[in-house]
Amino acid sequence: MTTAPGIQDTTAASLDALAADAATGALSSERGIVYLSAGHVVHAESALTPDLGTLLTRSGALAPDGWWEAVDHAGVQHRVARRLVDSGRLSAGALELCHLGALFDAAYFVLAHGGRPRRFRAGAAHWLGTVRPVPVATVVRESARRRELLHRIWPEPDIDTAPLARVPDAGATGLPVRRSRILDQVDGVRTATEIAAALGCRTYHTLVELRRLAAGGLVVPAAPGAPPAKAGSGRPAAAQVDPDTALLRRLRDALEAL
Amino acid sequence: MANLETSLKECLSSIDGATAAALVDYTSGMALGTLGGSKNFNLEVAAAGNTDVVRSKLRTMEHLGLKEEIEDILITLNTQYHLIRLLKGRSGNGLFLYLVLESSRANLAMARHQLRRIEAELDV
Repeated sequence: MTTAPGIQDTTAASLDALAADAATGALSSERGIVYLSAGHVVHAESALTPDLGTLLTRSGALAPDGWWEAVDHAGVQHRVARRLVDSGRLSAGALELCHLGALFDAAYFVLAHGGRPRRFRAGAAHWLGTVRPVPVATVVRESARRRELLHRIWPEPDIDTAPLARVPDAGATGLPVRRSRILDQVDGVRTATEIAAALGCRTYHTLVELRRLAAGGLVVPAAPGAPPAKAGSGRPAAAQVDPDTALLRRLRDALEAL
Repeated sequence: MANLETSLKECLSSIDGATAAALVDYTSGMALGTLGGSKNFNLEVAAAGNTDVVRSKLRTMEHLGLKEEIEDILITLNTQYHLIRLLKGRSGNGLFLYLVLESSRANLAMARHQLRRIEAELDV
């Protein structure tokens, strides 16, 4: 089942090698799985990002019953995507857009943190079926571009994985609607992934807003063991973060960025 | 019920003067689909850059307290028009269609009308 030749030092290098071999199968890494068909990426999944079903049903593009009907009837044949479109529940364009959104969201996490590949299961296919294959090079390049974009907004990667807390007494008026909706979910306990899941929103898109909130001095990684604050209270426990440390860190980053 | 590819093809074939089209996610700046463009006109760079235009305008409107929605944004160059149309559909939240037109061959009113129709067919 496992083939060693596909496995390189990094997930990105493994994907490149598998693409060169026009491989079909599933490459798993610490943070998720990338499905390939004839050397192209057809799907990606990560525990850190909401899946396609969640995105489609939470956005209202599809009723949950419709999603599960397609999974029940076409999952075994790996034709769930086809069934969603053929049954008239979803237009091909809407499915492609949502699927690409989920694919690149998961791929970012699979590739972004220098994740190491675990194994490649040759021939494995996802039950969703093929929607719109993407070249491996495009996925790798886009993940790198996304990483740079986050870095430019705010260069502290802790925000992506740590439980997050609001900064006490930081003024949060005049925020764009989506950013303030995300700020309302920051409670000293939840991570970016959990906030994205609560809102039914792609995790990367949530990270963009969270890093902007961090750059604006409104959100910091929660101190370990700090008591959770109530969501939306705007006044987390004062012990949770030391504002001086946060300020110094922001100053240091701003100076380094010069 | 068109898919991404046919919608972009239709942009170029049915809109006079259109030379390039892209469908862009304006949070990540990623082009989910592109058609046209050339060595001298990198659509992915244009897509990423124009997300800043869209975000900036949305932010300005929020500052001004305008409760309206952007239908489209027009940028006129010496020989080109760049037309940005924000998609409003259910799953289209956060996307825009970006169209490059040769101004000598384009009919702006018609281009806007056609883009609206293509958006409806994409049914996002």
